[in-house]
Formats: sequence, C-alpha cells, structure tokens
Amino acid sequence: MIDRRTLLKSAAALGLLGPTHLWAASNRQSIAAESADDLPPLVGKLSVYLGRGEGGLYDDIVAAIEKRNPELELSIRRAPSAALANTLVAEAKAGVSRADLFWSIDASSLGAVAAEGVSRPVPAAIRRHIKPDFRYEAWAAISGRLRTVPYNPTRLDAAAIPDDIMAFADTDLKIGWAPAYGAFQSFVTAMRVLEGEARTRQWLRGVKTQARSYAGELGVVMAVARGEVDLGFANHYYTLRLKQGKPDANVDLALTRNDAGSLVNSSGVLLLNDNPLAANFLRYLLTDEVQSYLAREAYEIPMAPGVALPQGLPERVQPPSLDLTQLADLKPTLDLLRETRVL
Amino acid sequence: MTRTPLSYLPAALAAAAALAPVAVLVWMSVGADLLIDGRAFEIALNTVALTLLTVAGAVLIGVPLAVVTTYADLAFRRVWVAVLAAPLAVPSYLGAFAFFAAFGPGGEIETVAGLATPRAQGLAGATLVMTLYTYPFVLISTRAALQSLDANVVDAARTLGLSLPAALLRIVLPRAANGIAAGSLLVALYTLSDFATPAIMQLDTFTRMIYVEYNAFGLDRAALMSLQLLALVVIVLFFESRVRVRRERPGRILRLPLGNGVKAAALLLAGLVVLAALVLPVAIFGAWLVREGVVGFEPAYALNSAYAALLAAAGAVILALPVAYAASVGWIGRLCERATYLGFGIPGIVMGTALLYLGLRLPLLYQTLTLLVLAYVLRFLPLAVGAVRSSTERVENNLVGAARSLGATPGEAFRRVSLPLILPGIVAAAALVFLEAMRELPATLLLRPTGFDTLATYLWRVYEAGYLGRGAVPALALVVVSGVALVLMLSGEARRRRLTAG
Amino acid sequence: MLEINNLCVQYGDAAAVRDLSLTLGDNEIVTLVGPTGCGKTSVLRTVAGLIQPSAGEIRIGKLRIDSKRNVPPEKRRVGLVFQDFALFPHLSVADNVAFRLKDRAPAERWIEQLGLAAHRHAMPDTLSGGQKQRVALARALAHAPALLLLDEPLASLDAALKAQLRWEIRQALKAAGVPAIWVTHDQTEALSVGDRMGIMCDGRLEQIGEPDACFRQPASRFVARFLGDAAFLPGELGHTHVHTALGDAPIGDGVPANPARVDVLVRPDDLSLTPSTNGNSRIEWSRYEGETRLYGVRLDTGGELRVRTNHEHHLADGAAVDTRICAGHPLALFAPEPAARPAGEPIA
Repeated sequence: MIDRRTLLKSAAALGLLGPTHLWAASNRQSIAAESADDLPPLVGKLSVYLGRGEGGLYDDIVAAIEKRNPELELSIRRAPSAALANTLVAEAKAGVSRADLFWSIDASSLGAVAAEGVSRPVPAAIRRHIKPDFRYEAWAAISGRLRTVPYNPTRLDAAAIPDDIMAFADTDLKIGWAPAYGAFQSFVTAMRVLEGEARTRQWLRGVKTQARSYAGELGVVMAVARGEVDLGFANHYYTLRLKQGKPDANVDLALTRNDAGSLVNSSGVLLLNDNPLAANFLRYLLTDEVQSYLAREAYEIPMAPGVALPQGLPERVQPPSLDLTQLADLKPTLDLLRETRVL
Repeated sequence: MTRTPLSYLPAALAAAAALAPVAVLVWMSVGADLLIDGRAFEIALNTVALTLLTVAGAVLIGVPLAVVTTYADLAFRRVWVAVLAAPLAVPSYLGAFAFFAAFGPGGEIETVAGLATPRAQGLAGATLVMTLYTYPFVLISTRAALQSLDANVVDAARTLGLSLPAALLRIVLPRAANGIAAGSLLVALYTLSDFATPAIMQLDTFTRMIYVEYNAFGLDRAALMSLQLLALVVIVLFFESRVRVRRERPGRILRLPLGNGVKAAALLLAGLVVLAALVLPVAIFGAWLVREGVVGFEPAYALNSAYAALLAAAGAVILALPVAYAASVGWIGRLCERATYLGFGIPGIVMGTALLYLGLRLPLLYQTLTLLVLAYVLRFLPLAVGAVRSSTERVENNLVGAARSLGATPGEAFRRVSLPLILPGIVAAAALVFLEAMRELPATLLLRPTGFDTLATYLWRVYEAGYLGRGAVPALALVVVSGVALVLMLSGEARRRRLTAG
Repeated sequence: MLEINNLCVQYGDAAAVRDLSLTLGDNEIVTLVGPTGCGKTSVLRTVAGLIQPSAGEIRIGKLRIDSKRNVPPEKRRVGLVFQDFALFPHLSVADNVAFRLKDRAPAERWIEQLGLAAHRHAMPDTLSGGQKQRVALARALAHAPALLLLDEPLASLDAALKAQLRWEIRQALKAAGVPAIWVTHDQTEALSVGDRMGIMCDGRLEQIGEPDACFRQPASRFVARFLGDAAFLPGELGHTHVHTALGDAPIGDGVPANPARVDVLVRPDDLSLTPSTNGNSRIEWSRYEGETRLYGVRLDTGGELRVRTNHEHHLADGAAVDTRICAGHPLALFAPEPAARPAGEPIA
C-alpha cells in the first residue's frame, strides 16, 4: 500500500494543492520527507506503547513497517493514550521501564509523560523532518488533527453556528460530545489555558444541559449525520472518513476562530530510552510513505514537510496560539470534568 | 494423629495469595483523599440500582421459567432447560456488545430491518443485558429447590383442605424462597463484578469508574473505589453464607396441570429470552462476519488466550489439590479454603488494579504473563477447588482403607483408587478454569504483557475504536468457547445428580 | 489367630478403647456389640491398621503391633467389610472383587457362591444394598484374608434383608474357614451370628462369652439391659433358691457368697400370668406379637413388669392377675444397688 507509485503521486499532488496559510507556513526551512527506501533496516526487539490505533489504520502502518523489516521484533501495547500515559507515569514513579517508545494520538498524553522526565530529546537530525511550527524538544509530532464542529446541514444552517466556541453554552442547540475521549479532554485543557478555569467550568455546565455523550468521536459524527443531535465536537478526520464512505452523509464541518474549538492537536512519538532502534522507528513514521498514507487514508494532517494534505480539509483555519506542550496539564481538566459531572 | 498435615503449607500459601490483593488495595488507597462527595454517592447509587434491578429482572424471568420447566408437562423439556441455562455460559460483554450494536438509531436492527429502536444504554440498557445473562442463576437454583420438594407434601396439603394455588403459595413457595434467594445473591455478585456491560452501556458503576480512573491518572482513586466495591461484595457474600438450601431426595416430583394458555405464555417468555440472549448476538456477529470478513483478526489472539488460559488451568489445579485436601483434613485447612473463595468475590477489574500495582512494586512481575496467570489463578481458584473437592468427597476414607486392607500400599491405593476417582474432578477443574480464563476481560486488559492481545482484549479494542464489525471473529470464537463451557457445566451437573442419586 | 492384650486407643484426649483384651480362635466368629460410641469400631480399625494403638499390643499370627511398632494395613492380611461397603465406584463388580488378585479364580468363585454372577459387570451404584454387601464380602473373602473384620455390615440394610444376609455371611465365613470379628449395635444380630460375643461399653469390654451365657448370666446390669428386656427384683438368697415376692427361682453356680439380699434378673419370659381375683397385680396393657403376647403388668406393691406369654393367652386390660416367676433355669443375681430402687421397677 505504501509503494513508489504512491510516493510519486503524492509528490505530484504537492504543487497542485492550494494550502491554507497554516499549512503553507510550514514549508520554510525544512527538508523534504525521507523515503523509507533510504532508511536503515530495523533489526531487534522494540516495545511500543501505542495510544489507540485509529480503526486499524495505524495497525496497517505497523504491518507495513514489519513487512519491510522482517528482523524487527515488535511488541505493541495498545490502549487509550491517556491510559498508556498513566501507565508510563506510574512506571516512572515505580522505577520500572518497559517501553522503548510511546506513540500517542494526543499531545497532552505525550506532555504528561514528558513532564515525568523520562523522555529522551528528539534527535536534531529527526526534528529537521518535522514542520517547524510543530518541533518540540521532548517528542516528535507525527500527524495533526484539527478540532471541528461537525453539523447536520438538514437541521441547521451554517450561519446559525457560532464562530466562538464559548458561545455554544448559550445556544439551545442539541450537541453531541465524547467526554471520555482523549482528544476532547485536550480540547478542554486548551480552553482552560486560553479562557481560564472559571469560564471553562461555566461552559461545561452550560453545554452539559443540552449535550448527549458518546463513547468516541466517530460516534459523535455518526449521531450528527443521523440527526440525533444538531452538531458535535470532534476531530476533523472522523467527518472526512465518514464522507469518504458515504458521500451523501448529512454532515459538514464548521470551524470556530482563534479559540480551543479550532485547536490543532498532534499525535506524536516520545522516545523513552536511547535505543537507536526506537529513533529509527520514529524516522519511518516521518517518511513520505507513512505520512502520505496517513493523509490519504486517515485524513490526518502530515507533519513531514512537503507531503500532500488530505482532501476535504477545511480552508482558512484560524487556530489559537497555544503551545501544545501546555496540554500536558491534564489533571485539573479531569478534576473539572468530574466536578461538573461531565465525565 | 496430631501431626500438621503437609498440605497445610501450600493451602496456607494459596490463602495468603488470595488475601494479598485486598491488602494491596488498602495499601494503595492510603494516599487517596477519601472523597465521599456527591459523585461517589452517585456511583454507589448506580451500582446498587443496577444490582437490585438486575436481581428483580432475573427473579421475574427465572422463577416462572423454573416453575414451568420443573412442574409442567412441556414438550422437549430437557432441551428447554439446557437452552435456558445457556446464557449463563456466555460472558455478558458479548451480549452488551451485541445490544450496543443492534439497538438505537443507525444500529443493526435499523440497518437490516428498518425498525427504529431506542438505544440500549444507561441503567435500562445495562439492566436488560445483565438480566438476560444472569437469570439462569435464579432459574437453576429455583429448579433445584422445586425438584427437592416431594409431591406428596403438596398432596398432603390438599387433603388438609388447601386449594392447589394455595398449596403452591403456602407449601412450595416457602421452600423455593431459599433457592430464589441463593440464585438472586449470585446474580447480585455477578452484577457487582461485571465490568464490560456497564462500561459499554455507559453507566457509571464502580467497575466502570475504576477503569476510567485507571485510564485517567488515578490509580489511588481506583483502589479506593475498588475497596468500596469490595464492601458491597462482602455484604452480598455475607447474605450468601446465611442462605441454606435444603436438599432432600424427593419421592415424586410435582406435576402441574397447566392450561394451554399458561403454557403458551411461558413458551413465549422462554422464546423471547432465548432470542434476545442467544440468537441476537450470534446473528449480529454472523452478519459482521459476512459483511467484514476476518479483517484485522490474527490467530495469535486466540492462541494467546488459549496459552494463558492453559497456564491458568494448570496453576489453579496444582493449587486446588492441596487446598481441597487440606480442607478435608481439618479446620485450618477449611479456613484456607474459605480464604481462597475470596477470589471469586473480587471483581476482575479490582483484581487487575491490585495486581497491576503489585507488579509496579515488584518489577520482576510487571507486565509478565506470570502476573496475568496469577490473576486468573486467584480469581478462578474457587472453581477449581470446588470441582476437585466434589470429586475428593467421593474418595471416602473407607475406600482407601478398603484398598489397604486388601493389601494395597498407600501408593497403590492412591494410584488405583483415589486418583481414578479424583481425575474427572481435576479434568473438570482444569477445563472450567481454562474456559473462564479464555473469556476473562478486565484483568487481562490491565495485566496483559505488551504485545499480548487475547480474544477478549481484541474485542475490547475493536469496541473502543468504534470498528465493531471487526469483532465478528473473536466474538464468535468466544461464543464457541462459551458453548463448550455450557456442555461441560451441564454434564458436570448431570454427573453430580447421578452421584447424589446413587 | 488374633490376640489383643490391654489395648488402649486415644483420640486426642478422649479414650475410645480402654484396656481391652480379646483372643480369637481359628475359624471363630466373635461379635462385638455395644451402643453407639462404645469403641467397638475403633477396635476393628486398630486391628485393621487404620488406627495405631496408644497402648497395649495386638498379635495377628506372627505379627506384633503396639504403640511403637506399626504394621501397615496392607501387610496384615486382615480383610475389612465396611458398613457403607466402600465399593470402588469406578470399578465393576468383578473388578472390585478381583481388585488385587493376579489369579481371578477366587473372585469368580465367590461371585458365584454369593449369587452375584448376573451382576458381574454391573457398576456399584446400580446395585441394591444387599447386592453391594455381597460384593463387599466377596471382595474381602476373595483376597483370602487371615482374618476378617466386619464393621456393622448390615446396618444400612432393611430388616427383612438383615435376617437373611446374617446367615449367608456366617455360612460364607464358616465355609471359607476365616476367623472374624463382627461389630454390630444390634443385640439380636450379635446373639445369633457369633460363636462368642463381646459386649462393650464406654471403651471397655464388659463381658465376653458364648451368646446364651451372656444372655442368661450377664456380667453387669448394663449387659443385662443391653441384651434384652430386663427387670431386677429384690430377693433373699437361700441355699438352693432365691426367694422373691413373686416366688422362688433356682440359683446356679458362682452365686455371690456374701450378701443375703440380692437383685434377681427377670426377663419377660421368666414370668407367668394366672387370672386371679386375689392376685398380686393388674394388666395395664397388652401387645400382640404374633407368636407371643407381651403384657405390661402393674404390681399392687407398685412398679411395672413386662411378661411374655403364649399368643393363645388373652387377658383384658385391667384384669386382675397373679404374676409369678416360672423360670426353670437359674436366674442371674446381682448385688443390690446402693440406692435401691422400689421393688420391681421396670428398667427399659
């Protein structure tokens, strides 16, 4: 699935796509993505904590890497990102170390683990292959995801949707959300950082009265499409994937402006020891092949420069200015969610 | 004669191991702020409400079916009994999984039949699923109580001037009450321990919240809630120890001349229950299999399940033998046996939390298969002890005495008399533990080694990711495992009946 | 064959057998009888080797067992037949009987002899109680024990079977020429099957002797009561007879020399009734028993006696009668008890 043909096609697409300003800005001072063909073969044992592969797409990537590197002995622990972060923190406190690498779908989980001081800095040589806006010391961004407001156009006019996330608490719209989901919790953390504790509490209480909970954000998007709720809060790719399977699904994307509602979060990898194999594995995730695949199949925003963006991505994204490492402070968010009985 | 039996040592070890999780939980929760806030109260309330409603539902379904299958002239009665007992062997998470997928807008029922159904979730959904998979406890224990009642007693009551309904009410019901109570307490115990059903139905019970806390940086809070849950379990166990079911051999079992209307109503109820608890899940898993095939499934999951379960079965039997033996020797042994029974009351998620923490303190064990197998052994040891004991009870002292008076050495007596008599029990014990461990979810979720996914954890992963269709193969595999468990359970019961009748 | 000298068996602090001595001749059957908990089963289990003696010794042929020297059960050639039969539930009748036999011929012989041929391949739990007992006996005998111990072998069978099997077992033992100790709590069984019988109470052997001797001349009031209906009448000892309020009775050998006042053991068939308006008693009740009739008689001097008469005899309740000793044989005499009971008070 990740072959040379794909690579060529992606490269060809690069010049044709009209990038939004955010994505366009990333093209400065960066080196184009590596090809998997140029990387050293992976040999030996590698233990990976994988924060929930999205519907098997991450599994496909793992399978492709394993196929290419038959001498790689990969053992993978799959669980929700937050659970694995919790595990890593508990392990760090107990002085136990089992994993070489933590691959998480959510920046806050990565930040929480990094805060324990167990991460190894991302080697500069690898960091060069990440878009400059997403280069961090403690972990390497792999793919971006955008907070969006999926809505049902048969129930609601796009104009009726506030462009300020804080305004949703004052509407009488029926809202779907997935409070137990890591991406949602990061979104609330961003709101806490940007708006403050008190306003966030007020917002949670306000939305709760008109909200319906779902287990995951795919569920939220599906509920929107069914008309069970008017709109929801979810990462962008759930809507894009649903539309791919069902082009006539009753769901469109709306965005808020300069607030937590349009946060750009990132999945990423955190190295837990100096095992060169772990670093090389990370390099594979930043190859053109993997990044293109993530963009094409998972509709995620590639973090390697020069890789084509997924189709259907909203334009004119105006994310808040927020350092993703600030999302690590999850504990007060959980306390807040519990206090307001949202969780 | 006063020598301390050698079997006390392993039995005491097993007892200590069974008590260890509780000690670990107490130790863990010491740091946690005791939060008796509204939230904690709400969780407790949800847990108790789910338990009570499930018990009520199980009684409402189990008792009428018990009366009809015991006393009425029903066509294919034995088949009905077997089929109606079957949901007991199916782990409730398969049911919850199927109901979650089947009902509600966009659910399988709407997709396939175009029928709009309400979503199965919350207290109502969890109660429905739990009831469908626990009522057989009430059915079986009530049937046993009803069967032990001699029809002559009812006839005697009628010659003394009671009408048939009055006789049923005044003679049969008081006798069945203990059976119903015993079954209800098992229902309560099972409901308190169940993790996946409330989790899938999004009802915030203790088990679900323990998992949420485990996922959300709150191991100490998870421990605290585990202890609160254990307190509820202890209450149920206390009542359970007070319920005595009298068993006597009936001369003749009562036959009730039921009208066709009543019979039809009973069969309708039975049919609906079977349809919902057995047919619906299998149909949905089957539909997924047809639609999605075997994508994503690796045989390694089944092999992992079987491997861990095999180790657990071996471990449990090796520990069960001295425990069962010690229990037959003296009161200290019986005390040890009692202690091992604790594992049965410790919910899997609680066992997982405790051993996870233990593993973090003893890194040698952390994320090892050993720790996972230990969790299985501690949880399912009572099953093994029960099965081994029921067979060691067959080896009365006199049999060994008889063999030796005929000239057999102790070794020969063991080999030729005790062993052949215990062996079926050992095999049954191993099989029971194996099948339970194959299907275990919550402890496996927490304790599995990295890279070690089982059928149950893969199914859970599929659920969490929202790709339900990929659960077809593991779910059907678990249904098959459950079927084997059911056959074993029924044949075990038949064997017991034969023995007590002999 | 078997010699038990001063045997004591302790269970913790409780003594089950106290200072018991007993010998068993070749081809002899001794029954041990006594109430539940008297220690009779403990004697058997000690001889079988399932319990070790705390004092005393047991000799079986050339073997010697005492508190220090044990011989495991399998080395003793002592067969044991259990009350619950202890058949191996996983083995057929034939396999049970031939359990340790290399040559199965003796097993076949005993299966034939005890009428089990039709059940040769049956499993134990399909057999009736009587059949199980026969299998247990066949199994023990087929293994050619030097000595057979039977622990209440008929206790779990119903009455009709008991009487029949009692004789079958005795015949079989005699045919095999195997000496046996047969433990029972049923005095009728003990009296009828034993060449000799021993009566145990509270761990002690109260008396051992031939059944009719034990019955007629019990060594203690306990034995007297245990073996049948017994009443004790106060009497005055003469030279040839003992004199009581109900007449005289002959006395035998071994009469207590000293006391002139004695208690005389009378059993219901040692007494006779004659209708008489100026008799010494009145009929309280009567019970028809087929060949005999048992009367409850109240003496005018107080106290009740039981009298057994021919079944043709019929006296109405309340009838005045004269009750007399009619025994032609010597009656057993006992020293009066310290706190003497009123004359003729019945002893159940």
